[in-house]
Amino acid sequence: MIATVVKLMARRLLAAIPILLVVSALLFCVLRLLPVDPAAMSMPPTATIAEIEVKRREMGLDRPLPQQYLIWLNDALHGDFGRSIVFRREARSLVAATLPVTIQLALAAMVLAAVLGVGGGLVMFHVRGTLFEPLADFVSILLLSIPEFLWGLILLFVFGVALHLLPFTGQVAPGLPLPHITGFLLLDALLVGRFDVFVSACQHLILPAVALGLAFSPTIMRVLRSSLFDIYHEDYIEQARLRGLSEGHILLGHALKNASLPTLTLAGVQFGILFSGTLLVEVIYSYPGMGNLMVDAVRNADLPLIQTIGLTYCVVVLVINTAVDSLYVLLNPKLRVR
Amino acid sequence: MATAVSRSLRSPRVLIALGMIACIAACAVFAGFIAPHDPGDQNLLSTLTPPAWAAGGDQNYPFGTDSLGRCVLSRLIYGARTAMLVAIFASLGAMVIGSVLAHVSGYFGGALDWIIGRMVDVWMSFPPVILSLILMVGLGVGLGKIILAIILVDWTRFCRVLRSDVLIVTRHDYIAAARLLGFTHWQTIVREVLPATLPLLITLVSLEMAIAVVVEAILSFVGLGVAADQPAWGQMIADARQYVYQSPWNLLLPILAIIFTVTAFNLLGDGLRRSLDVRLAEAGR
Repeated sequence: MIATVVKLMARRLLAAIPILLVVSALLFCVLRLLPVDPAAMSMPPTATIAEIEVKRREMGLDRPLPQQYLIWLNDALHGDFGRSIVFRREARSLVAATLPVTIQLALAAMVLAAVLGVGGGLVMFHVRGTLFEPLADFVSILLLSIPEFLWGLILLFVFGVALHLLPFTGQVAPGLPLPHITGFLLLDALLVGRFDVFVSACQHLILPAVALGLAFSPTIMRVLRSSLFDIYHEDYIEQARLRGLSEGHILLGHALKNASLPTLTLAGVQFGILFSGTLLVEVIYSYPGMGNLMVDAVRNADLPLIQTIGLTYCVVVLVINTAVDSLYVLLNPKLRVR
Repeated sequence: MATAVSRSLRSPRVLIALGMIACIAACAVFAGFIAPHDPGDQNLLSTLTPPAWAAGGDQNYPFGTDSLGRCVLSRLIYGARTAMLVAIFASLGAMVIGSVLAHVSGYFGGALDWIIGRMVDVWMSFPPVILSLILMVGLGVGLGKIILAIILVDWTRFCRVLRSDVLIVTRHDYIAAARLLGFTHWQTIVREVLPATLPLLITLVSLEMAIAVVVEAILSFVGLGVAADQPAWGQMIADARQYVYQSPWNLLLPILAIIFTVTAFNLLGDGLRRSLDVRLAEAGR
C-alpha cells in the first residue's frame, strides 16, 4: 500500500519533468520577447555602448534564442538561476529567503479555509429545506464573490485602521529580531526561545491568513454540501436511521467521513490556487514573501528574478498536486486494492 | 432549448442576477449621461472630500473626491464600463478558444486530444495570477492587453471542463447516426454535439465573467492593468489605499462595486447551472 503510493508519487514527479521543461522554455521565450535589454539594465547608467555590448556577449544575449535557453537550462540545473538585476543578489537566495514565509502563510490560510469550509458546509447542509436555505445559499455565493485581495483590504480597514486591533504591515513588529534557522519564522522564534517574537509573528499572520482563508472557504463549503446531498441518497444512511442512530451521529459519524473524500480532492486543487493567492495578500500587508518579491520583480522587469520565481510557483503547485493525489490514494479504500 | 430558457427565467437566482447586471450595464453604457463629472476632471482645491452625507461633504460630489480631486461617483460609473468591457470580451474570447479546442479534442480524440491535453497540463501548472502578471509584463498595460492576457490564461477553464462533456456526448448513438446520415465532422459537431454542451458552455461564460472582473481589478490594483487615464475600480482601490485614514469611503466604494458585480455574475452562473442542468433541475436543488 505504501509502495503503491510511493510508485504513484514517483510516476507523477517523473511526468512533471517534461511539463517543467516546457514551462521553463515558454517562460524564457515570453520574457525574452520583452522590449527590455537585460545587459543594459545590469550596467550602471554611465556605461558606454561598447561596454554594454561586451556585457551582452558575456551574458550570451547575442546568440540565437534556443541556444540562450540551453545556456540558462544548463546553469539552472547546476543551481545557478542568475542574478537579480534590481537587488544585485543571486535570484536563488532571494527566492530561498522568501519561499518559507509564503509557505507558512499559505499553510495557515489553508487550515483556516478547511475549518471555515467544513463548518460552513455542515451549517449549509443542516439548514436544507428550511427558510434559511435561500439565505445560506446567497451568503455562500456572496462569499464566493469576494476574492482574497478584497478580503485583505476589508480586514485591513476594519481591524487595522478602524479598530486598531491587529498589526497590518510586515511579519513582526519593528525592532524585534528575526531569528533565522529554518526560514519559517514561527518555528524559528520557538527554537531560539523568543516568545515575544512568536506572539508578534502570530499577530501579524492573523489578518493575511484570515483574508486568504475566507476567500477559499466557500468552495470547500459548497462541495462538502453537495457531496453530503449525494451521500444522503445512499441506502446506508436510511439503514443507520433504522438502527436508531441520532441524526447528528449519522451526519458526523457516517456521512461526513464519506463526503470528505471529494472535498479533500477539491481542497488540494484549491491549495495550488491559494498558494498563488498569497501574492496579493502579501502586497497588501507588506508581508515579505515571494509574492511581494514577484511584484517588485515584475514592476522593474527583473527578468532573471521573474523567471526564477515563476518556475518556483510551478514547482510548488506540481508538488502540491502530487501530494494530494497520493493522499487521495491513501484515504480511498477503493483504490487500495492490489 | 425554449423550455430551458423559460425554466431559467423562472429561477429567482437568474432573475435577481439579471437585474443586478442590468444596473451595471446601464452604468457602463450611459456613463456619459449619468456621471455628474468627467472622470478625469481634477479639482485640486477640494481633494479627498467626504461623501455628501458625511460632515463636510459637498453636494457637487455625492461620493466625495479622490486624492486628485476627481469625482468618485463618476469614476465608479466609468469604472463599470471598463469592468463590463473586460468581462464580456475576455470571457467570450476565452470561451471561443477553449470550446473550439475542447470540441476538437473530445470529438476526434487520438493524437490531437493528447496534444491539447498536454497543453492544458502545462498551462494549469501555472497559477493563473502569476501567469497573467508575467503576460502583462510582456504585453504592456492597456484595456485590450488585459483582455488578451485573460483570454490567454483562462481558455483552459473552458477546455478542461467542456472536453469531458464532449467525450460523453460523442459516445451517444445519435452522433453515430448523424455520421451514418452523411453529416461531415464539422456538421456533426455544430448540429449535434454543440447543442448538448451549450448549457454548460453558457454557465461557464457567466462564471468566467466574474473571474475576468476580479482579474482586471487585481491587475489594475498592482499597476499593471489599464492605462493611467482610464478609470478602473482596481486602480481606485490602489489610490485610496494610500489615503485610507483620511477618506475610508474612497476605499470601500470601489470594493463594494466589485463585490456587487462579481456576485451578480456568480449568481447568474449558479442559477443557470441549476436550471439548465437537467439532472440538477430534476433533483430539485
